Amino acid sequence: MTIPQYFRMAMRESRRARGRIALFAGCIAVGVAAIVVVAGLSTSVQEGVRSEGRKLMAADMIIEGKRPVPAEVDTVLVDFVAGDSRFTGQTVQRAEVKEFVSVVLSDDEKTSQLAQVKVVQGGYPFYGQLQLDPAGSLDLLLTADTTVVAPELMERMGLKIGDALRIGGSRFRVAGVVVAEPDKLAVTFALGPRVFLSPEGLNRTALLDRGARVDHKVLLKLPSGATSLDLTQLERAIEAKLPDAEYFRIRSFSEAQPALRRTFDRMGRYLGLVGLLSLLVGGVGVAQVARAWLASRMDDIAILRCIGATSREVVLLFLLQVVAMALAASLIGAALGTALHALVPTLFGDLLPPELIRPWQPAAIVRGVALGLAVALVFTLPLLVGLRRVPPVRVLRRDAEPVNAGLFGQLVAAILVLSGVWIAASLQAESWRFGTYFLGGIVASVLLLALAAMALSRLARLLPRDAGGVRLRHGLTHLARPGAATIGAIIALGLGVTFVFATHIVERHFGEQLKAELPTDAPSTFLIDVQPDQWDELATLLRSEGATGIESQPLVTARLAAIDGVPVDELTERRRSQPTADANQSGDRPRPNRGTLTREQRITYGPALPRGNRIITGKFPAGPEVPNGVSVEENFAGELGVQVGSTIGLDVQGVPVELKVTSLRTVDWRTFGINFFLFAEPGPLNDAPQQRVAVARIATPDLPRVQAKVVAAMPNVTVIHIRDVMDKVNTVLGNLSIATRALGLFTIAAGVIVLGGTIAATQAKRAKEVALLKTIGMTRRDVATVFAIEYALTGMVSAIVGVTAGATLGWAVISKLMELPWSLRIGELAIAGGTTVALAVVAGLAASARALTVRPVEVLRAE
Amino acid sequence: MTMPTPASIETVGLTRRFQSGPKTITVLDQVSLTIPRGEFAAIMGPSGSGKSTLLALLAGLDRPSDGSVSIDGEAIEAMNEDRLALLRRRKIGFVFQSFHLLGNFTAVENVMLPLELLGLPSPRQRASELLARVGLGDRGHHYPTQLSGGEQQRVALARAFAPDPPVLLADEPTGNLDGVNGQIVIDLMLNLRRDHGTTLVLVTHDPTLAALADRTIRLRDGRLVDHDATATPTGASR
Repeated sequence: MTIPQYFRMAMRESRRARGRIALFAGCIAVGVAAIVVVAGLSTSVQEGVRSEGRKLMAADMIIEGKRPVPAEVDTVLVDFVAGDSRFTGQTVQRAEVKEFVSVVLSDDEKTSQLAQVKVVQGGYPFYGQLQLDPAGSLDLLLTADTTVVAPELMERMGLKIGDALRIGGSRFRVAGVVVAEPDKLAVTFALGPRVFLSPEGLNRTALLDRGARVDHKVLLKLPSGATSLDLTQLERAIEAKLPDAEYFRIRSFSEAQPALRRTFDRMGRYLGLVGLLSLLVGGVGVAQVARAWLASRMDDIAILRCIGATSREVVLLFLLQVVAMALAASLIGAALGTALHALVPTLFGDLLPPELIRPWQPAAIVRGVALGLAVALVFTLPLLVGLRRVPPVRVLRRDAEPVNAGLFGQLVAAILVLSGVWIAASLQAESWRFGTYFLGGIVASVLLLALAAMALSRLARLLPRDAGGVRLRHGLTHLARPGAATIGAIIALGLGVTFVFATHIVERHFGEQLKAELPTDAPSTFLIDVQPDQWDELATLLRSEGATGIESQPLVTARLAAIDGVPVDELTERRRSQPTADANQSGDRPRPNRGTLTREQRITYGPALPRGNRIITGKFPAGPEVPNGVSVEENFAGELGVQVGSTIGLDVQGVPVELKVTSLRTVDWRTFGINFFLFAEPGPLNDAPQQRVAVARIATPDLPRVQAKVVAAMPNVTVIHIRDVMDKVNTVLGNLSIATRALGLFTIAAGVIVLGGTIAATQAKRAKEVALLKTIGMTRRDVATVFAIEYALTGMVSAIVGVTAGATLGWAVISKLMELPWSLRIGELAIAGGTTVALAVVAGLAASARALTVRPVEVLRAE
Repeated sequence: MTMPTPASIETVGLTRRFQSGPKTITVLDQVSLTIPRGEFAAIMGPSGSGKSTLLALLAGLDRPSDGSVSIDGEAIEAMNEDRLALLRRRKIGFVFQSFHLLGNFTAVENVMLPLELLGLPSPRQRASELLARVGLGDRGHHYPTQLSGGEQQRVALARAFAPDPPVLLADEPTGNLDGVNGQIVIDLMLNLRRDHGTTLVLVTHDPTLAALADRTIRLRDGRLVDHDATATPTGASR
């Protein structure tokens, strides 16, 4: 046959098959939509950040660190412009930004609120808009004694414009409200609402000289005409010439919002696999629909063969139809995914700035359509190849046996399906390793679900059938001898239930953990930035306000200088040259992460370890014969690559100190005590510049009053409620869980469609059954009841198997991986089971609606 | 229209056995016969005597357990499935008791199908002409379910004769039709056969129909029991 002939034949062949095409499309489209929306969102955030990077950073480039950027940077900037005729008469503009956390106090000192203070100087923002109310520039509103604050702060403290508040011991008047800040995203984690101060205002406070931890940033704007090459060159020049460059991070706008991009990248890969799962569930459905469809075409295929079509022509004819259906279904799914993407701002509020939502993502669409086609083909090819085995002699003998496929054919089919899933999963996860895990998980789940489904069907056979009356008996007989199709539907629906229930369980446990009342002996409040000379006064104040469980530790900040005599510079160089190095690669010890080595370390010292610390090797204190001992937390020791006996060289703000590792310990972080990776013995650090951190237990109703009093007396002290922090974390996790749940629903939807499809595919058989039942005197209602019971039982098997598997998976994650207390609620089991059964009944009855309305005579006459 | 060379059919020691559990059932046992070109042969026999099995073997739809079949001098038992399909495409037309029209195809599309498979020019026009010949010129756009049994069988006849096959195999073509419609179909089939010079092998229960044949082949329990001179029963070799 010629190609146009194939097309014409395929068109004729697939006429009058609207139902089948709709089912096929449904199975594939749902999964493709999930994949397209995830890939699209992830790309659109990456792309958006890249193209809106300047706005999201408010600059071309940022130098940031925990200390002021040295003045030498100006020389670098001047040299950069001077060396280039393009920039004659222009300069690199710079703005300085300081950010830190502090407690803001109402003027009457009765209410207080943790806030994120930002002080800007220069042309901030270079890009994007700082929207203020009243409108205007920040410079106009901010003076030495005014502040501009976020609306949340006004609301929480009951302020209005013109009111006064206290920051760092000084009074400020609220001159305006900040409506939008270009370089702050709603999704990023912040400890408190924004407060803007002018540099003069900051000087009026007692904050900086009393050791508040400040993030220093220098924002740069390159002269016009600068290219991305100039940007890279400037970055290199700064890195080379800035003193202590390793203490600063330099980012150009193409690397804006690294946390956001990383989050979306990771979420994109995880959710991409969830999307693939719904596509695979749909794939099971496609196989079912195709099996029923091809079974109904057997007679016609035999006729075609009889008339002289070769088996290859037959296979191609049906392959063409599958490809056409899968392509149409994938395109529908891609359109659906794109539409959902466009709806994200509506559905999820202002979680993401609207300029990051770009629903038209051709690459995501191509990926979705390709995966849709691939899954449809992988799940139908074995069946299509099986068409070669249709015996033409069927035209004379209906019962003619199909030509045997043989073990080889089945093996090839299995390998095709498995490798297809493996490749697709690896692409989605962008990792062969995760693709392999995913494949393993799927194979294990499917095997378990299939085994459980078969076992339950055995069980149904053993049940006495006379007890429940004729309707129940009918349902049971269906369950007792389910064909491959029913098992397939149970697996498909069960996979969806497993996934959704497992994520629900895990999320519930996390949520509970975060919302739970803290252990009664745990502190409720952290007090940081306490100066050593303030501690006695603070402790007295806390005690007089009824606080209990007051504990305090000195805190020394230092940098690592060397490990076992090897300078950190050299260690970071090794790390840089072998960026992928990990513990099991060549080399005698795991190479520490560069960030771990260069970041500021917080060290404490004292005669004894606080509770919740347990020595696993060595001794603390080690005794007088080993001076300068330090105890290192086990995991941190692993990261640094130190053991008992190693030495850790420190640079304590210019003074070198060498400590000897005398013990390793584990820390129970859940006590919320003051814990440190490095705990030194008293001695070497006693005279180092230091602060104190403290914890205390304060009754919830007293918290605002105590916070206000502390800050009124000691404005530099920052009081943080653990509850608030946990609520913030909970909000962030809540946003994540919405996404997971939304995608989980796709897998359930696919499962339901598969179940409906399986039932609809047996339409003809069911119509016959309905006709018979009606002929022997059942009313339509009776027949519907019989069917509903059958579907309910099928749903019940899916529910039992899926919920059990999901709970097991959840238990493994919570109990074994996270080591959190485990609980299972009857309520959630009932809801999950009930919903699954209800979905199965609704989908089943909807799918058999046509069979139910059939008049007996039509079917019996056709016999 | 050029007259095709009528084919001869020859079987030697044709045997078909089926395995039913541990038992082997011989459905067709050592059937040897020759049907010359252009002849009309009727196969008769009680139910289960092997009539349909013989027909399936003649068409290459089934494989003999033993013995050989040749169509027009070509031994078909050695051909693979696809060569058999190509042979049927060129040389064999079929008419069945239960019509076997393709349900998703209209009448005219059913008739076009073999023409398209052969890659013949203007298949739709030829198919319409053939439908007109069987009296269904105005029903071409109807689907099989919209046609009566007699009409469906006439479409099947048109389809069978469309590519001008040298051999037509018919399996009780009037078995599902009432007397009047059966007669119409028989008349059409015999007229078409005469015009095309086709060799016709017809399985039937109807003695009056068999009486119209050049010869009658009778089967009982898979064996040839009685036929006239041109079909020689031999129990000999393969």
